[in-house]
Amino acid sequence: MVLICSLLFLYACSSGKEQDTNPKEDVIPGKVELSDGWVRPGSKGMMSAVYLTISNGTAKRDTLAEVSSDVAKRAEVHESYKGENGMSGMRPAPNRIIEAGEELYLQPGGLHIMLISLNKDLVPGDSVEIDFSFKQTGTKTVRMPVKAQNP
Amino acid sequence: MRSTLYILLAFGMLAVFLEACSGPDTIADLSNESYQLLDSDSSSIIFPSHFRGETTVISFIYTHCPDVCPIITANMKNIQSGLADTSDVQFVEITFDPERDTPSVLAEYRKVYRLNDQFTLLTGQPAIIDSLMSRLHIVAKKAKIDSLQQDSSDYFMQHSNTIYIMDQNGRVRTEYPASVVPPENVIEDLKKIR
Repeated sequence: MVLICSLLFLYACSSGKEQDTNPKEDVIPGKVELSDGWVRPGSKGMMSAVYLTISNGTAKRDTLAEVSSDVAKRAEVHESYKGENGMSGMRPAPNRIIEAGEELYLQPGGLHIMLISLNKDLVPGDSVEIDFSFKQTGTKTVRMPVKAQNP
Repeated sequence: MRSTLYILLAFGMLAVFLEACSGPDTIADLSNESYQLLDSDSSSIIFPSHFRGETTVISFIYTHCPDVCPIITANMKNIQSGLADTSDVQFVEITFDPERDTPSVLAEYRKVYRLNDQFTLLTGQPAIIDSLMSRLHIVAKKAKIDSLQQDSSDYFMQHSNTIYIMDQNGRVRTEYPASVVPPENVIEDLKKIR
């Protein structure tokens, strides 16, 4: 009996130690929050765009590494920009860093998530789940409304 | 001597008054030109004579554009909704991308953005669209994005960002940065040009 108790005690101690040394179990105080999200409507096979605010409420800088959604073949972070002679263009903007305590704004005419080749029609009134993968804080899934225009 | 000065002054004031009444100068006179285009119902539209007698707000878009072009369309709708009376105004969106923007694709865009009958979406033969764009100093060029190159048909466009007002006689009178112009500015000019 004494031997069994001793073994259980040792096992409990050893497993606790393992948890402490595992970097995946690091606790990051605060959290990353996603708010004010909305998605443009679009037809199957076409494009759409996702807008939101990402607030890094943790004490560490984080990076938006990947975005995905079941409603589109691919999702990428892009940026609209103004070029020469007032021309409008768009370019990829991967791995956006969000400093600790700061916010990243994805807004019409600037940074946005592009949903490429929609798997279905998105119409106002629908809602869409989007997965956001952050390097520090992991993946967050948010459901956002489809709207023609943010009021 | 004094009476001559008064006469000159009166002429000067009359000139200023007439200028103010006639509104902005002409950017391009299309009144004697003709471009055969197609609307989203595949009906033939002769531009600009189809719109003669109405003041027309014109923009250029392409439907594979997920961010800026929907803003332009939203701005056109905001101009429309900001007008107390829209009875003699038409709204026209012409594609930069006639290869992909067929009438049926434009019909989908019209449905998605809930554009009413005052909106006409136009496409056409690429050479004719190019010719019209060139006439209005509109530039659009295809831009490949690395991540999309696996799909050879996928491309985006760098493009001009312009709204025009064309008067009832086919003269293009004013231009604005399409995605950012406050609708009130366009509405104010529309009142002068109508």
